[in-house]
Amino acid sequence: MRLLLVEDEVDIRRFLRRSLEEAGYQVDEAGDGKSAEQLAIDGSHDILVVDLGLPDQDGICLILRLRQLGVTAPVLILSARRSVDDRVRGLEQGGDDYLTKPFALAELLARLRNLLKRNGPASSEGTRLRVMDLELDLLRREALRGGTPLQLTQQEFVLLEYLCRNAGRVVTRSMILDKVWGMRIQPDTNVVDVHIYRLRGKVDGKGQQPLIRTMRGVGYVLEDR
Amino acid sequence: MSSRTGKPVMRSAAWRISLWATLAFACGTLVAFVFLHQFVARDIQRRGDAWLSGEVETLGDVAQRTPKDALYGRVVGEVAELAGKEVPNKTRSNGKSVAPVFFLQTAADGSLRLWVGEGNGEANLRAIQSTNIVPDQPTDLHVEGFPIPFRVASISIDDGSHIYLGLSERDELRVLEKLRLRFFLLWLLLVLLGFGIVFFTTRRMLSHIRGITEAASRIGHSELSARVPTTKRNDEVSQLALTLNRMLDRIENSMHQLHTITGALAHDLRSPLTAIRGKLEMSLSAATAGEQAEPIVSAIDELDRLTDFLNKSLDVAEAKADALRLTRSEINLDELLRGMIDLYEPSMSERGLQVELISSGAVKIFADAALIHRMIANLFDNELKHLPANCRVTIRLRTDDNLASLTVEDDGPGFDSEIKPQLFERRVKGKNSNGHGLGLAFIDAVVRAHGGTVSASNCETGGARIAIALPFAAESPAHAQTEAVTRSH
Repeated sequence: MRLLLVEDEVDIRRFLRRSLEEAGYQVDEAGDGKSAEQLAIDGSHDILVVDLGLPDQDGICLILRLRQLGVTAPVLILSARRSVDDRVRGLEQGGDDYLTKPFALAELLARLRNLLKRNGPASSEGTRLRVMDLELDLLRREALRGGTPLQLTQQEFVLLEYLCRNAGRVVTRSMILDKVWGMRIQPDTNVVDVHIYRLRGKVDGKGQQPLIRTMRGVGYVLEDR
Repeated sequence: MSSRTGKPVMRSAAWRISLWATLAFACGTLVAFVFLHQFVARDIQRRGDAWLSGEVETLGDVAQRTPKDALYGRVVGEVAELAGKEVPNKTRSNGKSVAPVFFLQTAADGSLRLWVGEGNGEANLRAIQSTNIVPDQPTDLHVEGFPIPFRVASISIDDGSHIYLGLSERDELRVLEKLRLRFFLLWLLLVLLGFGIVFFTTRRMLSHIRGITEAASRIGHSELSARVPTTKRNDEVSQLALTLNRMLDRIENSMHQLHTITGALAHDLRSPLTAIRGKLEMSLSAATAGEQAEPIVSAIDELDRLTDFLNKSLDVAEAKADALRLTRSEINLDELLRGMIDLYEPSMSERGLQVELISSGAVKIFADAALIHRMIANLFDNELKHLPANCRVTIRLRTDDNLASLTVEDDGPGFDSEIKPQLFERRVKGKNSNGHGLGLAFIDAVVRAHGGTVSASNCETGGARIAIALPFAAESPAHAQTEAVTRSH
């Protein structure tokens, strides 16, 4: 996977490059709009990460320019502005996504995956999800652990489904809030943790291998090995 | 707005101003007319008196010179009758009307000697005898049987007799009556005309002001580039418009600066925060042992709290300056609250709190979804953080006219009376609060940015109550109204 990273802050660019490479991306980087344009035209990137505050031009202008030049790869916009303006929303509807600084790396990676999945060939949606000995029947909304049905509420099922779909990958609290409850909020309290705690109590019974693991400071992961 | 909704004229400022101005004008002109009337009346009387004095002198002369024989009565009588025909202020020679003049001569002993006039003169003589009439000075005389008084002048003749010439004030009064009627009609006309002129000029003037008001009210929270209309005339109204526009220039300018500052601040803080968080996360994935990880994890937590604080501070600061940018979309508050309760319920029951929603169904508002979500999350966080165990939170959602009304009540200890007056200020928090004191300020900021109101109080039973009223849509009240109507059916 080739990725073009457009970010003017050297510090951020350095650690992003490192963690993106760790995640298996092949990273090209640019510090301003001009060199970004050059790189984007020359190389065929699968995905772009663009910071809005570039020294020579506005990130949105750059994206629009690249689109004009025939670059079709999805874009993840990084923004230091907390209120996302309408133009970003417009791009979001066009298939791109945005992330407000500062962000969790896990979230960046998750959003990149989502963008690539959306852009790539549509994977055939099965009606069952299976992670280790956990089985989810999406049609009948039933979950089984080692063949034993779990008594889950509607909301717990949606949460578990989300964790299963991202099995082996870290999901942050704000990702859970966004995808499961449809809210982009940052609660002061540990509301998500309590949900996870309850779900874990039902999924990980006594004597069973714990599946839902807490990644402190980052989020949660559903173990798949 | 007001021009379209057909506001009754009677309640307009133009109407009140014209009413008062007309009242003052009417009083002024009335006083002027009264003076004029007085003056005219006096003048008419003076002319009458002059005629009387002249005539009575002539008659006295004639009476003195005419020998006192059998013809005396006829000669003096004829002269008197002749004089009566040259009466001043004579209006109509109406045959039916009573003769306006009488002539009376008394003998030295006071008995009636000669009489020219209506009737036999007995009543006139009695009136003269009962009134003290000074020669050469016309006096009012009320005669029995005549409703209108006479003006009487007298003269003494050498033989001891007195001559009295009386002139009825009937004609004089008629003239004055006519004058009064004319004055009244003229006065009425002037007052009505004055009222009309004042009303239409003030209304025109005020319509300019209304135009300015309408334009100014259109200049909303975020739309600061519009200006109020100005006129070419250099009067007070156009100066008001110019001053308003200059003020708007300044506001727009400082607002722009605020945006720039908050934007720069946000950017300057966010970039290092991003870098720090990223580095911490990377070292976290490298560190395997739990004990090593602990400080890094808590550092990340602290960093996230700092970020949240920064976000809220900037939001509150911008909202306090009415500079929060809203991206509106339709939100169903009922659905949102149910989702939020779903999210918070486990945390609440964990702490022994009960939560209940009383809602009559969908309540749709046109608002900024991200801000409203965060605001409601704040309300829940607030309850979760401050309520002791075994309390109950009741959330009520309903529609009031064109407002969505949301109240959150609990049966906890309520707000500290010390901080109650400044609850919605930044950084105000209760003694035992561990928050950063932005929660309620943020709620207030969001509600205000949407043109709503929020109030916090303690219930009679002691718990805290936060009441929020949000308009369905700030920009199009007409739309909200029709919505309210359809809802009520």
